[in-house]
Amino acid sequence: MDLAFQDLKRHKGRFIATIIGVGLLFTIVLAMNGLYRGNIADGTALIRSTNPDLWVVQRYRGGPFNEQSTLPEFYHYSVESVPGVEKASPFIYYTVERLVHRQSRHFSIVGYDVFGGLGGPKHIIAGRGIGQAHYEMVAHVKLGVQVGDRIPLGLHTYTVVGLTNDAVDGDGDPIVYLSLHDAQEVLYQPDNEEVRNERARLLQTLSGQSYLSPDQAKKLLGPLQPDTHIVNAILVQMKPGANRKEAAGMIEKWLYLNAYSTKDEVQLLLKGRLASISKQLLLFRVLLLLISVVIISLVVYTFTMEKIRSIAVMKLIGAPDWEIIRMVLEQSLLLTVSAFLIGQFIIHNTYSKFPRTVLLVPGDDLVTFIVALMGGVLASILGLWNALKTQPATALGE
Amino acid sequence: MEILRIEGLAKIFGSGELEVRALEDINLSVSKGELVALLGPSGSGKTTMLLCISLILEPTSGKIDFDGQTIFQKNGWAGVDMRRLRREKVGFIFQSHNLIPFLTARQNVLLPLNLIGIKGEKAENRARELLEYMEIAHRADALPALLSGGEQQRVAIARALANNAKLVLADEPTASLDTARGTKVMEILKKIARENQTAVIVVTHDVRMVNGFDHVYHLKDGRLNSQET
Ligand SMILES: Nc1ncnc2c1ncn2[C@@H]1O[C@H](COP(=O)(O)OP(=O)(O)O)[C@@H](O)[C@H]1O
Ligand SMILES: [Mg+2]
Repeated sequence: MDLAFQDLKRHKGRFIATIIGVGLLFTIVLAMNGLYRGNIADGTALIRSTNPDLWVVQRYRGGPFNEQSTLPEFYHYSVESVPGVEKASPFIYYTVERLVHRQSRHFSIVGYDVFGGLGGPKHIIAGRGIGQAHYEMVAHVKLGVQVGDRIPLGLHTYTVVGLTNDAVDGDGDPIVYLSLHDAQEVLYQPDNEEVRNERARLLQTLSGQSYLSPDQAKKLLGPLQPDTHIVNAILVQMKPGANRKEAAGMIEKWLYLNAYSTKDEVQLLLKGRLASISKQLLLFRVLLLLISVVIISLVVYTFTMEKIRSIAVMKLIGAPDWEIIRMVLEQSLLLTVSAFLIGQFIIHNTYSKFPRTVLLVPGDDLVTFIVALMGGVLASILGLWNALKTQPATALGE
Repeated sequence: MEILRIEGLAKIFGSGELEVRALEDINLSVSKGELVALLGPSGSGKTTMLLCISLILEPTSGKIDFDGQTIFQKNGWAGVDMRRLRREKVGFIFQSHNLIPFLTARQNVLLPLNLIGIKGEKAENRARELLEYMEIAHRADALPALLSGGEQQRVAIARALANNAKLVLADEPTASLDTARGTKVMEILKKIARENQTAVIVVTHDVRMVNGFDHVYHLKDGRLNSQET
């Protein structure tokens, strides 16, 4: 006969209400764990899936993801001539908000050299990769488009030729792959109106210069258009057996650029853009776990205080202290374990419906469970302390 | 054969102006199978005496020998595990029934059996026997709250008898019962003393209830006077 269980059996309604309540709290703890992991996974997903040997970026910049980095497109020729480098490809990355199927969508665009360059999608799950220099796109499935759909972006309309499920951007939003020059065009030439305005403004400035005739001013318009042959990074693939560190050193020393390995890029993000949100989520995890323990402790305390008279009777008829300890502890653990299982059940059946990526790791579940279990034991201490100092004669009053 | 011997037992509550001398110089000897009544008006120290005998309350002074062992001496506890002694050798019937509310009648009787290591079918059989003996077996699976006062008292007696105690202490077991049921409970206590060679000390303030007892003591203002029946 198990006393803890018998007592709970008589208070079924309250016990179930409590474990559902605490269970929901554990659901949030587990969701926070998953969001923490998901945040890091999403934030570094594109870096890890692109995975070149080196990321070459603007000097003194931790780009292209943690900081802005811009460099002229043609630099990839210089990088490619560094000893040990097999291939160097231009890479452009930026985030936009555009209409897709008449809905405003937030997503990121990756532009890469579609003819054998690095940085394109790794896994095409429907359709094919980009096969021509212009007006084709490969989209992440999360964008919700189909192969064959036509999506207007800026001046042109692009045909979806393939779908991928490789990586999302740092916000968990889908990535759209375009050819490098299409991506530059979408970024720098939003529409004809703006091009016209820009030209008019430039012409006005030039016409104001007394040393230029109106004819000369008009002729200068073309060459003075802003340069759109800008990229954010150059991706490097090393020759087999070549020394990556050496090449990186050379690029930094002679080309006045910065070069990072993929590992370094991930670290830049973890210590930079992702650091504060990670700390914030960690704080929430700890706080919520503490709150769960406090609530369990209050519930166990109430359950125990209600039984003080029964505990006194047990002492009167000679029950040893450990029988009483066992009863209180068992109730606490039954509560904690049931609530945890409910929390785990809920999160494992709902995580895919969260707006942000929730990445559930078995190790996280285990650690949370162990902490919750220790918390449950800790939580019983207040109740136990009262139970053990109860005088047996307490039971004798009417 | 002597099972309980009390010498010069005293219990003082509080101190100074608030001092209450609940028991003074109590001397008492009880033998195996003996049926002893303790009579006295309310506040005379009857309950205090039972609690001191079972060391639920620590006496102020005196000496208590129980079952060939000194369990209390003037200068304090004699180093015995009194809870163990209580669960193994003493049965207690309280003034208020003190059943555990979240256990059924049957489970209330099983509890002291489990505490002394009797479990499973053996325990179930003994509990059923005891409940049948107390004529309450038909209510075995009811919670205490659903039982009448008399029924609860019978379950409480069954629980007190579960460990085959050498000494049963009963504090006004008939107080909450009508005369007919009260007499019945007294008959049962007599039967226990006779059949099991258990020493039984019954506290009561009702003189009519003590027919057939071996010894009747009067407690007045904390002092004990013997009076043979
Ligand atoms: N815990 C206590 N503290 C102080 N005085 C007490 C306490 N318990 C009992 N008393 C006093 O001791 C005396 C005897 O009480 P009790 O043994 O309960 O009497 P009875 O059971 O005969 O009615 C009473 O005067 C009572 O007020
Ligand atoms: Mg009393």
